[in-house]
Amino acid sequence: MKLKTTLLAVAALAVGAASGAQAQTKSTLEIVKERGYLNCQVGQPNPGFYSLDDKGQWSGHDVAFCRAVAAAIFGDPSKIEFQSVTSQVRFTSLANGESDMLSRTTTWTTTRDTQLGLDFTTVTFYDGQGFLVNKSMGITSAKQLNGASVCVLTGTTTELNLADYFRSQGMNFTPVTFEDVNVLVDTFLKGGCDAYTNDKSGLASRRSAFPTPGDYVILPETISKEPLGPVVREGDNQWGDIVRWSAFATIVAEELGINSGNVEEMRTTSKNPEIRRLLGVEGNLHTGLGLSNDWAYNIIKTVGNYGEIYEAFVGEKTPVNIPRAGSLNALWTNGGVLYAPPFR
Amino acid sequence: MDGTQDSRGQRAVEKFVPKAERPPPMPVSGAIPWMRRNLFSTVVDSIVTIVVSGMLGVVIWNIVEWGIVDAVWTADNRRECMDQSMDGACWAGPALWFDNFIYGLYPETERWRVNLGAVVLALWLAPLFFARVTAKIPTAASVVLTYPLFASYLFYGGEKGIFWTAISALGLTMFIMALANAALELSGGRSIGKVMEDRFGLTSFRRKAIPVIVLWIAVAVVWSGVELEIVRTVKWGGLFVTLVISGIGITFALPAGIMLALGRRSRLPLIKYVCVVFIEVFRSVPLITVLFMATTMVPLFLPEGVTFDKLLRAIVAVCLFAAAYMAEVVRGGLQSVPKGQPEAAAALGLDYWRTTSLIVMPQALKLMIPNILSNFIGLFKDTTLVAIIGLFDLLGMVKAMSNDTNWIGLVDEPYLIAAFIYFCGCFAMSRYAKSLEQRLSTERR
Repeated sequence: MKLKTTLLAVAALAVGAASGAQAQTKSTLEIVKERGYLNCQVGQPNPGFYSLDDKGQWSGHDVAFCRAVAAAIFGDPSKIEFQSVTSQVRFTSLANGESDMLSRTTTWTTTRDTQLGLDFTTVTFYDGQGFLVNKSMGITSAKQLNGASVCVLTGTTTELNLADYFRSQGMNFTPVTFEDVNVLVDTFLKGGCDAYTNDKSGLASRRSAFPTPGDYVILPETISKEPLGPVVREGDNQWGDIVRWSAFATIVAEELGINSGNVEEMRTTSKNPEIRRLLGVEGNLHTGLGLSNDWAYNIIKTVGNYGEIYEAFVGEKTPVNIPRAGSLNALWTNGGVLYAPPFR
Repeated sequence: MDGTQDSRGQRAVEKFVPKAERPPPMPVSGAIPWMRRNLFSTVVDSIVTIVVSGMLGVVIWNIVEWGIVDAVWTADNRRECMDQSMDGACWAGPALWFDNFIYGLYPETERWRVNLGAVVLALWLAPLFFARVTAKIPTAASVVLTYPLFASYLFYGGEKGIFWTAISALGLTMFIMALANAALELSGGRSIGKVMEDRFGLTSFRRKAIPVIVLWIAVAVVWSGVELEIVRTVKWGGLFVTLVISGIGITFALPAGIMLALGRRSRLPLIKYVCVVFIEVFRSVPLITVLFMATTMVPLFLPEGVTFDKLLRAIVAVCLFAAAYMAEVVRGGLQSVPKGQPEAAAALGLDYWRTTSLIVMPQALKLMIPNILSNFIGLFKDTTLVAIIGLFDLLGMVKAMSNDTNWIGLVDEPYLIAAFIYFCGCFAMSRYAKSLEQRLSTERR
């Protein structure tokens, strides 16, 4: 009985390998269209970026960029299934084809971009590591943290950045490491360490759940660059373009003042040539992407422009509460670094 | 002779004076004597009792204060909870999320399907608990073999071709048969087979096969008109998926474990070594490794664009792992049956399969009940590991809740609820096994 199973397995693998040879030629876009929905990889729930709500739906800043791609392809942001995997297997799970793209607060680094067979498309959120301290300490700058004990999650780049920063500043510190963020927060609140370090977005969202958030302040220094954005497999440039330009479309839409409310009107009345090209009224920007000419219109109509996405999931009106004005995530016209190439 | 004697020379009867009443004996039963005997028998005992009960009282009061008195029952997010009460539990969050704990991401409008599946299973199993129903083995076998056929379509849905229609209709047919049979036996004391025999003169195998086939065709015709919305397994979650994985794991593990254990004791070298290698390999690696292999390695071997469902992979991994463990439990049971038993069976002329199924296995299985049960409970709890490969089982949903933007960092309350649900499941299994043990231990009665 056992032998039979083994033989069957071997046969199945052989058949699989044979059909694999012909399947290679299929582009990701074709596979996704055939399947009828997009497989988007997110992580274990992380407030503001990808989390589940009490209706069992995925939502968040990173989730929105997946939905934008689904909207661009199908005109329907709900034609999507989310794969949630731990950060250890995120790249494997993308490389082996289980997901079509990954959008889950993943930092763009040289190693990741060049050695894993993956391509980073663009940046959808500029994050950076910072420090959270109790106001009663009377500290206003990270440079005053000499000799402090710092709570940090273990096994992350956060821990390495922390050590780098203190060494470069010639200061001493005592790391207090944790596996679990809830335990870390509990310790920090009880005074188990002087400062808590993490990406600033994470600090802001955790602070929002403190009993008295007003008593804590995020120090101005940003000690690392954490550009976060969607990632695709290497080797299918058209697919990379679709993901990249879907994100750009949301940014350009904000720049041009198009949002989910007025996009309908803009499409019929606007005289601005770039708006007309973006919304598919004239030109043929869609042909290179292999999408229909209303792809960007569908993104803006159903998901919104970058500003709308930001304010809905991580903005000041949400519990995560990360102010956008004056941050790197503001449009380049507002002093940020958010900049998309022209639609031409 | 001295002493008073009357005229007839007899000893005078003294006037009866009752003795003073002795104090009543200490009562030996009831609450107060029990306490006196066990808690306050000496001074030291009394002091210890008072101190410990004082401490216990404080702890219990704190729990009650946190969980009930100061608790918040309605709020829209954690901040509102905190505004109402800083030191109390925030039950408003778990209350909003409770359905998610049970069904995971299963779409709200389709959740009735999960409920229906549970009701069908409960009704199907119910006849097993009535002494008057004789067809227990066919009923149990039909549940194990055909319930998954029906349930998998009910839960997954989507387009069903002819094959799927037939297969899932078979499950439904067997369910109707089992219920009809139970109803007949409970009301008239005759099974379906018996009724068929009396009414139509059908005998032996045919008396069961014919009604099944007729019903199957009828059900399939009706069933082919039903199409349910597709709910992909990435959306399955919560207690539902915990029960799916552990349920399939448990039902698969026992028969597979028995086969492996018998295989390991086999005299045929090929069978023996295949079983030994399988058992040793799966027992020597942690479950989490098997799960990781199943989720990350398997897709690498598949052609591009071909996917093999992640939940299915996890279930297969759990089944293989559980079977290897069960095999060793069963082997332990087999070794405890004295050699004289199979020898006596051989002397009676029974062949290998009869010896095993009639003589050895019944004795071995009975002895193994506690071990088998520990394994099942372990498996039920081990399924929480699937949270790591991205399936949202009960624990995964609990963790997801503490990362919901509205309930960031709310962990104690949902974890308590999960612990309670797990406790109920495990305790129920343990009680059932205990009753089974008592019912089966005929020689010790």
